[in-house]
Amino acid sequence: MRLATIAWRGLLARPLRTALAIVGIALGVAVVTATIITGSSSEQALRSATADLLGRADLRLRAFDDAGFRPRTIQALRALPNVEAVAPVSERRLTVSTTPGDNERVFTLLVMGIDPEADALVRDPRLDSGVPLSADSPTDVLAPASWVSRNGLELGDQLLLAGRREGMPPLRIIGLMADTGLAARENGDLLILSRTTLDESFGVPAPIRYLDLDLGDEPDEAAIERVTATLDEPFVVETEADAAAPLASAQEGFVGVALLFGLVSLVLGAFLVGNTMAMTVGERTRELGLLRAAGTTSRQVLGIVLRQAAALGVLGSALGIVAGIVLAAGMIGFLSSTRAVLVVGLPLPIGGLLVAFALGLGVTLVGALVPAMRAARLSPLEALRPSRRTDRGLLDRLRPLIVAELVVVAAAMLLVAVSGIRTPILPVLLSLGLLIGGAVAAAFVLEPLSRITGRPFERFFGAQGRLGRANLSRDRVRTGLTVGAMMIALAAVVALGTVAESARAGTERRVASILPGGHAIRVGLPLDAETFRPTFEATVGVEVASPVLDVPVVRVTDGDQEEAALAGIDPNVFDDENALIISGAPRADAYAALRAGGAVFVPESLARRVGIAVGDVMGLALPGGEIHELAVAGLVEFSLPARTADGALLVSTADARDLFGVTAASLWIMVPQADVPSSVFAAAVRETAVQLAAEPLTARDLAVELSRSLDRLIGLFDALALIAVVIGALGIVNTLGVGIGERVREIAILRSHGMTVGQVQAMVVAEAAMMGAIAGVLAIVTGLLVAFMLVNGGASAELAAGLRLPWPLLVAVLLVGTGVAALAGLYPARVAASLPIVRNLKHFE
Amino acid sequence: MAVILEARDLVKRYPLGEAEVDALRGVSLAVEQGEFVAIMGASGSGKSTMLHLLGGLDLPTSGEVVIDGISISALDEEHRTLTRRAKTGFVFQFFNLIPLLSVGENVALPFLIAGDPASRHRERIAELLALVGLVDKADHRPDQLSAGEQQRVALARALATKPAILLADEPTGNLDYTTGTEILDLLWDSADRLGQTIILVTHDARAAAYADRVLVVRDGEIRDEIALGRRKDHEARPLIRRLAELGL
Ligand SMILES: Nc1ncnc2c1ncn2[C@@H]1O[C@H](COP(=O)(O)OP(=O)(O)O)[C@@H](O)[C@H]1O
Ligand SMILES: [Mg+2]
Repeated sequence: MRLATIAWRGLLARPLRTALAIVGIALGVAVVTATIITGSSSEQALRSATADLLGRADLRLRAFDDAGFRPRTIQALRALPNVEAVAPVSERRLTVSTTPGDNERVFTLLVMGIDPEADALVRDPRLDSGVPLSADSPTDVLAPASWVSRNGLELGDQLLLAGRREGMPPLRIIGLMADTGLAARENGDLLILSRTTLDESFGVPAPIRYLDLDLGDEPDEAAIERVTATLDEPFVVETEADAAAPLASAQEGFVGVALLFGLVSLVLGAFLVGNTMAMTVGERTRELGLLRAAGTTSRQVLGIVLRQAAALGVLGSALGIVAGIVLAAGMIGFLSSTRAVLVVGLPLPIGGLLVAFALGLGVTLVGALVPAMRAARLSPLEALRPSRRTDRGLLDRLRPLIVAELVVVAAAMLLVAVSGIRTPILPVLLSLGLLIGGAVAAAFVLEPLSRITGRPFERFFGAQGRLGRANLSRDRVRTGLTVGAMMIALAAVVALGTVAESARAGTERRVASILPGGHAIRVGLPLDAETFRPTFEATVGVEVASPVLDVPVVRVTDGDQEEAALAGIDPNVFDDENALIISGAPRADAYAALRAGGAVFVPESLARRVGIAVGDVMGLALPGGEIHELAVAGLVEFSLPARTADGALLVSTADARDLFGVTAASLWIMVPQADVPSSVFAAAVRETAVQLAAEPLTARDLAVELSRSLDRLIGLFDALALIAVVIGALGIVNTLGVGIGERVREIAILRSHGMTVGQVQAMVVAEAAMMGAIAGVLAIVTGLLVAFMLVNGGASAELAAGLRLPWPLLVAVLLVGTGVAALAGLYPARVAASLPIVRNLKHFE
Repeated sequence: MAVILEARDLVKRYPLGEAEVDALRGVSLAVEQGEFVAIMGASGSGKSTMLHLLGGLDLPTSGEVVIDGISISALDEEHRTLTRRAKTGFVFQFFNLIPLLSVGENVALPFLIAGDPASRHRERIAELLALVGLVDKADHRPDQLSAGEQQRVALARALATKPAILLADEPTGNLDYTTGTEILDLLWDSADRLGQTIILVTHDARAAAYADRVLVVRDGEIRDEIALGRRKDHEARPLIRRLAELGL
């Protein structure tokens, strides 16, 4: 017999426990694998979408003015030498509906107008099915494949543009765009049709927002010079990275959080293995002692234990890779159907899979290292003495584990960094550190916490509750780690839920602050304030329709110029306490200054970036125009959205008109009369919007819209967290099983004193439920800490307002933790209850 | 005096591989209320098996056990447990205590198991601790006690609910002479002073000599019955002489 055989037999002797450990590792590796595959799928999608945004174009010019480029400019550009293609894209936000009837649906989305022939020169229409637009296709429209299927439509279905001229035929979907092409923009809420069709549908043509230019092979500086010299309109050159930036940021956040779950699951798996091996070593102390006495070296003993662990790790990791591929298929399916994150296909990156396998095997070995070393250190004499628990301090027993896990986490992060998946590493690492720290701390707070959380259980379960609680402190390291593992899974749910809730709160605040009264209309082309005000104010129930006079400007500093956006607002409309969150000056002073004129409110993010404070003077000008010096009267946390990421600089309507000559507005704030119900007013606003071929906005819709993709992701992450909870539950099954094995005699004594089968079951279930409850309490504390860290470390302005606690979720975590743990206790409880009394009494006599 | 425990023709057969072992081959006995009976025999003679059947911990292959008028062989598992809870108290050779409960909690265990808050039985628990002389160790953990003290706690616990019958399986088997004597004195005291019915299983004639009556077991059968009567001196010599006469 070889020593390896002993390792095998050790595992086979306890099939259930071995299986649990393997499943634990497999689940952890599965989540990591799924994350790596999904991450790689999303990278691929991002690359392909980015490539399609500009296609073969060498240059994208974005119009600076809302009016866009003039058709004349396109003609001039096409006439230039070296210019092989100019593909103009016009844009307009429109309300679109399906054919009227019972199932009529209404959407507000971005409609892009292209010149089909010119566009074909710069990019291939990436279609899932159907045909591309042709030169004269007045009724044809391309729609994103997932938008079509999500809304129950199909190829050939008709769509109506709201506010379209009388007598125009409906549009027909002739092609389904792949989600990873042009359709990646706007979360896939867009339609593409011919520019001519778009322009002919309405009284005014849609502004041409950008031009994609193919300048032939190897365009030189001179060619680009010639192009820019031809342009009369102000413009900005946009790179591929600029165009893809909004797509990329969502991916990074997603991969980061998914990876956190993967690593959390993996660490849980390692806890499970560590626990399993510790139990095995504990049970087989005598056997190992005999081996030592017979001349087995301590290195050989170490080898036996590590070989067991390696077997678990290899099996678990291999299973995990397979399960991970299945899980990834599910995740990718979910993501592509909900469009929460851009994904394409099911790539199997060999390197990534190897990393997952190595991580699985690695954490298994590290998890087993502590028990293995304990086994190797056993002196033959010590092992042969009747069992006595080494009574070292808790910290002593946990120290190697703490160090080992931190090393694994660091190594894992390094590996991930090397494997090239883009993610903000630091917050993930810190979160993981916090979670593991919390798990290790579980052993220390177990006793006091069990005394508090145990109380309701003792009331409910009586003696069984008391006995169950006593059992928790039988082996505090073992129980602590088991509780800690469950805690990590639940804490991840708490952290995510809290961050999401806080983001939602932030979004609501933000939307409320920029849409006072909660309603607005956005028009594609700015409408003259004086001329159109009566049209807007004809809306039933409106108190006032307030135009936001917007204009692109430049911010002038020491001769340098930077693109900026200016919006003229009516201080009276925005002067309610939820509107515009002002900092840097008292609200009243800030508004007084704005009303008086010559003052500007600056978005906080801009102020922070370039170092502007209240009281400073800011030079603003129309491109090429006179510079106006405005006093910074206040900083706003959120400003009206504009072409620049920071949002618009805000001045009074009067200043916008008098200093910058703006008379038109593309955003109209619709303030309802006090007694008009919001839903009634929303309908009236929608009617006005349709009349004007414009988009109605409500604060509620906007908040939902902004939170939508977050909510979907949270759903997915909760599913991943559930896997982690399952691993935690396996740990509880494992630990309870060992605990019962250790006290068969005790249970027989209890039974002989009249404890019924049901009471024994209740005792074990109570013990399990208490573990779950303690895990839940710790998870809430740790999860909130992690959330606090993520919220305060995050750069997102939505989170600046701080934490908002998702109370129902916190309660649910406590209940689910307790419930799942109690369920996990059912099987061990049955085992305990079916133990024979007499045999277990005799065992020792 | 009333019969409190009766066994009729108990047979216990254990499967042993292909074959079977007859641990008990037809045992009948009756114990009167307040009686102190010892069951004596060599190791493997079937004493423990008999005690387990008498206390309802296990079922006989055939035969019947009647405790305080209840035929426990006819009961289902649940009711047998409840009868055991109500009528019996057990003391085993060692590892009697729940290590994670304090001494006081261990003594209160029968109340806890019955769903009866220990707080309602504070006086009774104090009385029991006083009986076994461990009042000042009520808050200790079992592993902080000596083996003799642990057995005294086990005894206090077995007596807690004033059971109809106290069943003790080699309670002194793990103890030295002095501490063993302390336990036996306590047993005798509870029989004599409190009128406790006791069945004591032992292989030790000196312990059996505390009983009113000794049943001698061999190969799963009661071979003899020696009436000693209640004696304050617990003198073992008459019993030993009698056993010698029987060739045991
Ligand atoms: N569960 C069992 N399976 C098989 N044989 C058993 C079992 N329990 C007891 N025996 C046998 O029954 C006989 C009586 O055992 P026991 O009652 O424990 O004896 P004692 O207590 O007098 O030492 C012995 O031969 C023993 O081997
Ligand atoms: Mg015995």
